Order: sequence, then C-alpha cells, then structure tokens
Amino acid sequence: MTLAEGNVGQVYTVLNSALPQQVEKRMEALGMTRGSQLRVLHKKNSGTLVILLRGTRFAVGRGLTSNIQVKEASEWKTK
Amino acid sequence: MENEMTVGFIGNPNCGKTTLFNAFTGANLKVANWPGVTVEKVEGAMKYHDNIFKLVDLPGTYSLTSYTMEEQVSRQYILSDDVDVIVDVADASSLERNLYLTLQLLELGKPVVVALNMMDVVAKRGMEIDLHRLPEMLGVPVIPVSAQKRKGLDILLHTIAHHRDTSQADRLIHHHSSDHSKKHEQHAMVYSDGLEDKIDIVSEELNKKYPGIKNPRWHAIKLLEQDHEIMESYPVDLPQVLDRSYESDIINEKYDFIEEIIGETLVNKEKQAALTDKADDLLLNNWLGIPLFLAIMAMVFVLTFTLGDWIKGYFEILIGWISDGTAAGLSAVHAGPMLTALTTDGIIAGVGGILSFLPNIAILFLALAFLEDSGYMARVAYVMNSVMGKMGLSGRAFIPMILGFGCTVPALMASRVLENPKDRRRVMLITPFMSCSARLPIYILFSDLFFAEHAMIAAYSMYLIGIAVAMIVALVLNWRDKQRSKDMLLIELPEYKMPSARTVFIYVWEKVRDYLTKAGTTIFVASVIIWFLLNFGFQGYTDDMTASFGAKLGTLLIPVLAPVGLGFWQVVVALIAGISAKEVVVSSFIVLFGMQTVGSAGDLSALHASLAGIGFGPLNAFCMMLFCLLYIPCAATLATFKKETNSVRSMFQVALFQLATAWVVTFTVYQTASLILGM
Repeated sequence: MTLAEGNVGQVYTVLNSALPQQVEKRMEALGMTRGSQLRVLHKKNSGTLVILLRGTRFAVGRGLTSNIQVKEASEWKTK
Repeated sequence: MENEMTVGFIGNPNCGKTTLFNAFTGANLKVANWPGVTVEKVEGAMKYHDNIFKLVDLPGTYSLTSYTMEEQVSRQYILSDDVDVIVDVADASSLERNLYLTLQLLELGKPVVVALNMMDVVAKRGMEIDLHRLPEMLGVPVIPVSAQKRKGLDILLHTIAHHRDTSQADRLIHHHSSDHSKKHEQHAMVYSDGLEDKIDIVSEELNKKYPGIKNPRWHAIKLLEQDHEIMESYPVDLPQVLDRSYESDIINEKYDFIEEIIGETLVNKEKQAALTDKADDLLLNNWLGIPLFLAIMAMVFVLTFTLGDWIKGYFEILIGWISDGTAAGLSAVHAGPMLTALTTDGIIAGVGGILSFLPNIAILFLALAFLEDSGYMARVAYVMNSVMGKMGLSGRAFIPMILGFGCTVPALMASRVLENPKDRRRVMLITPFMSCSARLPIYILFSDLFFAEHAMIAAYSMYLIGIAVAMIVALVLNWRDKQRSKDMLLIELPEYKMPSARTVFIYVWEKVRDYLTKAGTTIFVASVIIWFLLNFGFQGYTDDMTASFGAKLGTLLIPVLAPVGLGFWQVVVALIAGISAKEVVVSSFIVLFGMQTVGSAGDLSALHASLAGIGFGPLNAFCMMLFCLLYIPCAATLATFKKETNSVRSMFQVALFQLATAWVVTFTVYQTASLILGM
C-alpha cells in the first residue's frame, strides 16, 4: 500500500519508493531508508500527511506519499 | 594557543544553531552572500581569552550532498583552508536524525566538535544520553550545551580552542569484527566489507592519479555515491568498481550505525513532547487549522495597530519637541528662512513622520519572529498546503508570503526554499502583493483620515485584497502553465517551544536598525529632493506649491491617474516618490501639505480639510491605498529581484506587471464604486 493510504496513529515500515532521484536521496538523508519505520500523526483528505520519522515530525505532500510503498507494522521495532 | 581562529557552525535546521551562534556573537553580525551564489553567509566575531574567534554560520542542512547550492557551499567551505574547526550543532532531543550530518562531517576529515544542544529539553523529558560513550563511538569531543539557557558555552569555546590541530580522531572504541578492524581505530564510520574493499581500491587509484590529494577516502566514498561535483573534479576510470551508484547503500549503512549508536547511548528515547502533540491536535486539525491560522494573523494585526498606535502617540510628541527645538535653535542662530524650512518642513517632517511608525513596524516584526521561533510557521505550510495546491503552489511557498507582510526583501530571499525554479519565480511574482510593513503608514494615514471608526477595517481590507490578488495571479499563472505541479511538500515540524527572547530581540533589532538606516538615508534624501521639487519652480524659490517643479511634473501625469480616482498632482508626486521607499508616500504628503507630523488631531483635521479642498474624498483615499498596495515595488525590492533572478529584464517586467495590475484593479474599483455611489 502507499503511504497516502495510511491511517492516523498506525506505524508503518518503508518498503520502497518511486520518486525522482533527488527527492529520494533527500528522503533517505532524512532517514527514510528501506526498512525504516514511521508513524502517521495527522492526515488531510488530500493525501498530505504529518509523519514521525526517526524522532522528527515532517509534513509530507501527496506527490511524495502516493509514491512511497509501505506495509503495516505492529509496533516500533527497536527501543 | 593561537591568536586567531575561524570556526564554522553547521547543523540541521531547527537544531538551535542560530541561537547558539547568537549567544556567542550577540547582535554583531555581518550578513552577506557567499561569492557568486545567492546563499547567505553570516559572520560574527568574538574574543575568548587570548583568542579572536571568527565565527561563520553555515546554512542549516540535513546532509552534505551536491544537490543544492547551500550544501555545495557548505561542503566547499569546510574542505577549504579558510576554516579551522567545525562545530556540529546537534539537537540532542532528535539525536537520531542529527547524527547523519555528524557522520558525514566526520568523513570530511576536518576537526569537528559536536555541540549537543537542547540538553535542557532532554533532561525535562526524562531522556538520558551517555556522554562518555558517545565521543568514544564518534571519535570527537561531544559537549552538552543549552543555547537557550546559556549553559556549557564556555566549555564549548574551550574545547574549540584546543581542538584546532587534531588531524587524527580521538580514541575510538568499537565492538566490530571485520576484515577492516584497523580502520575502526581511525574512522568512526566503517562500512560493510564489500563496500570497504571498493573504497580501498578507489582510494588507491585516486592517490595514484592525483598525488597529494587530501582525504582520498572521502573522495572515494563520493565517487561510489556518484556525486556529480566530485565526479567532475576527480574522475577515475574504474568501471568495474564504480559500476553503479552506491549512495543508497551508503546512506542505509550510516543509519544502521546510527541505530547502533542510539542503542548504546540513548535512554528513554520514546518520550515525545506531549505538549507538541496536543498543540498539533488543535492547530493541525482538518477543520480548525485554517480558521485558527486566520485568527492568529488577525491577532497579530490587531496588536500591531492598537499597541503600536499607543506607543506611536508618544513618538509623535517626541518628534514634535525635536521639531520645535530645532526651529527655535535655528532662529537663535539667525539661520535663513529657506534653511529653516528645509530642516523643519522637509527633513524633520519627512523623516520624523516615518520614524513615528517605528512602533507599529517593530511590533509586527516582533510578532512574526515570535511565531517563527515558536515553531508555528512550519505548521502553516501544512495547514495551507491544500489551498496553495489549488493555486499550483506548495504549502512551503506560504512562508515567504507571510514574511512579505513584514518586508518584501527578506520574503523574496526566503523564496529560495522552493527549489523548483518555476515555483520560485511564481512565488517571487506574487509575494510583493503581500502588503509589506512599509505600506502600513499609508493605510494608517488614510484610514484615520477618512474612515474614522472603521479605520482598522479599511486597513485590514488592504491585507485581504493583497492576498486575494496574489491568489488570483497565482491561479492565472497556474492555468497558463498547464503543468500540474505535484505536491512535493516536505518540511520539518519542529517541537513547539517558548521563543527565545534573545533570538527574537536580535531579529527585531536587525529589522529596526534596517528601518532606521533606511530612514536616515533613502527617506532622508527623498524628503530633501521632494522639498526642493515642491518649493522651487521656474521662478526659483516659491511659496506657492502649485507653481513648483513638482506640481508641473505631477500635472503632466494627471490624465493617466484620473481614471483610477487619483487625478491630483500631489498624489502623482507622492506615488513617484514612493518608488524609492513606500513610506515616502506618507513623507511626501506631510511635506506637500505642510504638516509637522501625522497623527495629532489638529494636524489630521487640517490635512482632511486640505484634501477635501482639492476634491479628495473617502473613495479617492481607498483607491490611493489600493494603488499603493499593488503598484511598483520599492527600489530595495526591485534590487532584490534583480539579485535573486540575476536578470535586469525580469526586474523591469515585474515593475511593469505590478503597475499594470495596480491600474486595472484600481480602475475597476473606482469606476464601479463611482457608478454605485452616483458620483
């Protein structure tokens, strides 16, 4: 599923993404690497989300969230 | 101990780097541009014992790739010999993400000291960081500080002073088993065996092909990442080894190591700021978000007007005294009437009139700085993202637009946050419609004059009209471009915090200082010129203003402005003068109608009478405000435009575009209103 389809409060594991190279590298530099986890904090109908990634909150637009593949995770992996 | 040292400050955005920087430099900052690029360079200096520290604040960044100009500039600067020590400011409460930049910095091979900032937040949240283990894993000193509470600053300076000539890493203690265990003694970040093998091969080749190259390891890593800048400067022919980009692998492995570091050094990582979550639940709520934002903006506005006006009253009394005192002083030395008139009616009236608005402007900047430092501004990007999206803009574009309410010049510079050049152009084009603080005196003057109890509404309407025009222009541009720009919003939402009084003060003081400088220079000169134009005619010095040069010039252009309700030569003169700086419109009026200051009831009613006498009424006043809102931006803005786009042609295009927009809109309003009001 795409991140845009995510639900508020749920934790997800990042699988891969189909983004322009520069954007993808920027996301990776921020810590959105393959296998990393994030939680959806807020969601607008348009697919714009606020996520919690490696301890930092980000607002992410639809152009990004609709191109990031994730799967549901039961809980945060490491403490 | 050396006498002079250059220290570079780098760190993630929102890590408190600027607060820390300011804690050392105070308000003695020099802001310029890095040579050849539109990236800001902030420099300061300070003394520490026998040392003179030159401090350079590098742009906030998440990483050091070659994708953006900011990163390139920072990287080049760090690698150069111009800087002795790098202070990596890391937000201890977001350590995980901040360490990424740290690992990249360590690979650059220059002396690094990590300033672990916001330790007070960490303590408050019940998190703990192992400050002994962390330096062992990184190989550099880690100094806990709290820029806000001003703790640890001296210790940091001491460490910087002593860390200058370390080319080797400090003691590194690792628990790794690999073929490359030797490397663990020298480098904090060691990659997987396969990758390290490749690094070795490329390093060797680099040493062969470019003997004497500094830090071959870093260059090798960059080549494996297929970094454009390094590939161009140090090309190497190893197609088998450099078969693809290993950038993702390298990033992933760095984060694996970061997770290891966090695992060993951070305790109670979970504790998120509950306060931020609660506040966001309210401010980012899908229904309440926009209304709350509008309410906050309205509050800022009300504060600017009410509190500002109250203080303004005292300013005016002060300026009145200065004016009277000067007049008395001049007559005591028997100065000629012309000099006296120039000084009191020209200079003091013109410049003083503008200075009296300083309270309003200072409060506006104060409010904006408060919102920015608290962390709310970033939320605005999220809240307005959908609205902006419909106009083809990113939510991020809203931030420069909000800054435009303060001053268009920094707003245009802030548009750099938009990397897509087309987006940037569009935002730069509509930002001047965000009514800047320089126009505030114009609104206050005419609203007070003609709209009495409704003055604030009249003035607020200008802001709303400005926003509306900006949105319409954005829509038109979007429709014309036909390219559906995708919503690629990506912005960090920092934790809410109580704005640092010091940071806010320094920011406001800078703006106030700019304002006073502008008053002392541009407006001063403009006032003098206007005074001359209005008191000299073809017959020389004249008491009758209608015979002056200014009047003749103004009369020439009446036909152009009559259809928009501004067919008065005085207005023309004021508008032309307003191109130097918008406040000059008010200065001109003061000089044109022979007033001392603006605001005292007597002066206002006298001005009202004079204006009524030439047929200038409420509708004209409204059109005046409207025209001033939209027409040619001030000289400083035009200059910034040229600087940001590197094109004189663009600058003229913008000027013409705004002039045309102003004329069309004001024309529509004037003619329609005249019809309705049967005038």
